[in-house]
Amino acid sequence: MNRNSSMFTLYTGLLGLVTLAFGLADILVWAGASPGFSIGILEIAGGDFFRWAWGGAILVFGGLFMLGSLRGRGTMEQFGKIVLGAAMIWIIAGTDIFARLCESIPAGEEAPEFFNSVAGFVGGFAPPYSPAILLLPFTLGIVYFLFNGRFDEI
Amino acid sequence: MADTSRTVLMMGNPNVGKSALFNRLTGGDAVVSNYPGTTVDYTKGVLIENGQEYEVIDAPGTYSLEARDAAEDVAVRLISENPGATVLVVLDATRVERGLYLALEVIERGCPVIIALNMIDAARERQITVDTRVLQRILGVPVVPTSAVSGEGARDLAGMLRKAQKVDIETVRARADGQFDTPEQSGGCTGCGGC
Amino acid sequence: MALPVQERWDLVDIIARKTVAAGAYRQNLGDVLGDLTVRPLTGIPVAFAVLYAFWSIFSSFAGALVTDGFMVKVFDSHWLPWLQGAWSDPASIHYFLFVGDPLAENCFEAFGMLTSGLFVAIGVVLPAIIIFYLMMTVLEDSGYLPRLAVLMDTVFHRIGLHGYAIVPVILGLGCNTPAVTATRVLETRKQRFIMMTLLAIFIPCGAQLGVMLEVIPDAVGWVMLFLLIGFGIFGFILDRIIPGSNPEILIDVPPYHWPLWENVTKKLMNRTKSFLKDAVPFVLFGVLVVNVLYLAGIIGALADLFEPLFVTWFGVPKETVGPLVAAFLRKDLAVAQLSAIAMTPYQMITAVVLVSIYFPCVATFVVMLREGWKELAAAVAVLVATVFIYGGLIHAVGILMGVA
Repeated sequence: MNRNSSMFTLYTGLLGLVTLAFGLADILVWAGASPGFSIGILEIAGGDFFRWAWGGAILVFGGLFMLGSLRGRGTMEQFGKIVLGAAMIWIIAGTDIFARLCESIPAGEEAPEFFNSVAGFVGGFAPPYSPAILLLPFTLGIVYFLFNGRFDEI
Repeated sequence: MADTSRTVLMMGNPNVGKSALFNRLTGGDAVVSNYPGTTVDYTKGVLIENGQEYEVIDAPGTYSLEARDAAEDVAVRLISENPGATVLVVLDATRVERGLYLALEVIERGCPVIIALNMIDAARERQITVDTRVLQRILGVPVVPTSAVSGEGARDLAGMLRKAQKVDIETVRARADGQFDTPEQSGGCTGCGGC
Repeated sequence: MALPVQERWDLVDIIARKTVAAGAYRQNLGDVLGDLTVRPLTGIPVAFAVLYAFWSIFSSFAGALVTDGFMVKVFDSHWLPWLQGAWSDPASIHYFLFVGDPLAENCFEAFGMLTSGLFVAIGVVLPAIIIFYLMMTVLEDSGYLPRLAVLMDTVFHRIGLHGYAIVPVILGLGCNTPAVTATRVLETRKQRFIMMTLLAIFIPCGAQLGVMLEVIPDAVGWVMLFLLIGFGIFGFILDRIIPGSNPEILIDVPPYHWPLWENVTKKLMNRTKSFLKDAVPFVLFGVLVVNVLYLAGIIGALADLFEPLFVTWFGVPKETVGPLVAAFLRKDLAVAQLSAIAMTPYQMITAVVLVSIYFPCVATFVVMLREGWKELAAAVAVLVATVFIYGGLIHAVGILMGVA
């Protein structure tokens, strides 16, 4: 194990822990621990079972996959688990962003015109964001390894 | 029964790319997916090669000629209903053994056979090499490497259709055991495509 | 001149040994992911994630973007007022048949062939079908479907099927007709019969999903849950009472591929085209026929006849009987009609579940007939029994939980 790989292990471990925590937070807020939680640019609305309980569980598993990859030697299978964990984040974040996109293209029910204004469209992507979207930039490290084939060195 | 000598029946294991190859050959739009059992009914199309019109039939995938389910039954019925048809056996180059079983069964039925060694690109990627020349000599039927996804080999395959061969299974067995009765040059056409 | 099976395999071995050489192969990431997604511990969470993505994208695109964002506006503020103004003589029969209610403010409540019929077909169902087929094509072409089949194998064996039955089920969520044909991958007649019957009864098609999503978004989850439970219960029962075997099958799992853009667009185009050609005329025609039956008083008479059954046995309000009877001919619009009636959420769920497990559309009947009329007759018998028993069961559950 070289320095590079232990850095990557640390990185994955931290990302896994944060993902796990965010997933649990999603579920807890849905279950009623808080009427909706917002701090800075982070927001967990928690109203909808599908988005927060089900979606939260997926984040929990994503975190567990990444943590699960820490056990044992560096193999392709471990890297597979990391990618799978990141994929769980991509699924939740991707669908969140897609939902925002779909909601901000049309003008809204009351407005007479069909398409949203440019300002309204951009406004649809303003913070606060869901935990998964906030995790998204941090999965770039994994993408970097994925495309550089650097997982050989782990 | 209609003249079936210009009919090409595509047979092969499930998910080896028969439908994709069919679309390449005929420009048809048979449904193609990446799971075994996509095709459950047959699709017909027309291929014109060298002024010769072929009717191509894309059969559902089957592991053998003893049908196991309704989709395989369609395939087996097709081969009985088109006795004179050329059978284009599509093999998955990454797992040749499996498809060979079906290919031998078809050869034993006495149909003129030609073999497409499909997914050759995937085999290369997996470092699997198939010696088409030897395969061709043992079986005595033309073997064309193809990739339905990229289109590689599809033209060659169309050109070789008329060279499909009927072979005797006993001679296949003899050749497989290393007994080539005659020198290559003077023997009967082995469909090597060299002519 | 056929060889015995064993000799043929021996010959295959010899030939393969002489022609195939496998070089050193290193497992790549795709192989590892392929393996991880098929092992239960990692595969089941992934399956849940895929399902999540599927539904989320489906509702964002079909619901929020196309239908609510554009179609509702096009139909309610432009098409409907224009048609109501332009069509002469609101009191006439043809006005009732084609435009419907002259005072309606939205296309869901007008119930004319060119208002509700067209709105449901083009405004609600078409976008649902397109996005559904797009995602399904990606699932098919990537090679994920057979992995789902492996994961589902244990569950499906309990109801007399094997994992591969997930393929017709997923296809059926788009449209039941190709799904019925796809049951051919199942081995025995028993399995095919169970699958076809369950498909026709418990799997709502893309059209129904689209309408449900639009009209009763909050109750969709419950409706799906009841349908899923029904699928399990009746599958279990059918497995016990129908003779025949339920053989094991080896599922061939192909490696993952990136879907080819060319193939995805081609399949999407073909499927959408066949939907426009096969299903849209049925929706429009169904609306027309139901309107004629309403005018002729037949729906009213049937509603009076069945009212005791529906009200006491299924526990739904008597206003729903008309729409429920009409639902035999046009399931999609029935849900919209129901949503306009005042009732408790539980009654609404019951009514929508009833509509879903009713007769499938005419097109499904036609393909089922092609697979064998005896099976079709038996399936219809099972269907009638199921509607009756399961409808009562849901009512009973509601009474026990104190919500009916």
